[in-house]
Amino acid sequence: MAHAAQVGLQDATSPIMEELIIFHDHALMIIFLICFLVLYALFLTLTTKLTNTSISDAQEMETVWTILPAIILVLIALPSLRILYMTDEVNDPSFTIKSIGHQWYWTYEYTDYGGLIFNSYMLPPLFLEPGDLRLLDVDNRVVLPVEAPVRMMITSQDVLHSWAVPTLGLKTDAIPGRLNQTTFTATRPGVYYGQCSEICGANHSFMPIVLELIPLKIFEMGPVFTL
Amino acid sequence: MAAAPEPGEPEERKASCTSLHLSYWKSVKLLGFLDVENTPCARHSILYGSLGSAVAGFGHFLFTSRIRRSCDVGVGGFILVTLGCWFHCRYNYAKQRIQERIAREEIKKKILYEGTHLDPERKHNGSSSN
Repeated sequence: MAHAAQVGLQDATSPIMEELIIFHDHALMIIFLICFLVLYALFLTLTTKLTNTSISDAQEMETVWTILPAIILVLIALPSLRILYMTDEVNDPSFTIKSIGHQWYWTYEYTDYGGLIFNSYMLPPLFLEPGDLRLLDVDNRVVLPVEAPVRMMITSQDVLHSWAVPTLGLKTDAIPGRLNQTTFTATRPGVYYGQCSEICGANHSFMPIVLELIPLKIFEMGPVFTL
Repeated sequence: MAAAPEPGEPEERKASCTSLHLSYWKSVKLLGFLDVENTPCARHSILYGSLGSAVAGFGHFLFTSRIRRSCDVGVGGFILVTLGCWFHCRYNYAKQRIQERIAREEIKKKILYEGTHLDPERKHNGSSSN
């Protein structure tokens, strides 16, 4: 989860998120250099003694400031498109879970190996125990195996919602009447948090998502099916 | 529960919200957003870029004695050297990550298959003895 006043990305828990962080660093370095150049140009503009205001011909400068941004855009677009297509790859998922958004909770369906369906409500502040996270913890977590490709089918029963878990690099809209799919492979066990990411009413901020990722051996023993 | 520290031993530094908050705010962010400490290759690129900028700008000034043009050369040098070091370092970093991933998977396979008929070392030793 994010720590207080965190602005940057959370640590990656999936290969896609690792690639996204690498791309983010790459884009940020290019942005930094552009900002540095612009600040320098601003400094020159403010400190110049040249006052000629009727310059009408600057072919070389215009050529440079057309070609250079094109090169910069290509440098950013190529890795971006690579990751975009990578996120759409479906690597033969071993497990499918349906996630249905409601106002204002999530329903999860594990229908591959049985008919487990449960709701996931945010824990109200009065029900929090010491160590629980306010506005993030839920009554029933989504329990999933680590290092196994998982497919999430996401939809909504009423209005638009969005199922998001930043550390996995996931954000998929839950649209009524439509089934969206996202896949991921978690690389380390733990408890990971997300929040609804599409405005959906009064309690939009109070329908979090909590994933509990456990080793595959323990998952196969069936703890998730003992609810 | 941690044992009480021995006399003369420094006290254990307890993690707290305040200390985490302070350690977060101690990270160096150029122009307010580029986290130089936690971004791989950023510090290395910026340092070499600064050095390249100083060398190019000062060198140009020594030859031409033109201050403004030397500053322009310095800024241009900073951008080019930083970009060059950045791409070079990130390429090596990506290669290293791939090698780490291959090594990690091979170690896992070795642990799984050691002593079984799938052990590649056993196959290799078997074929060399034949």
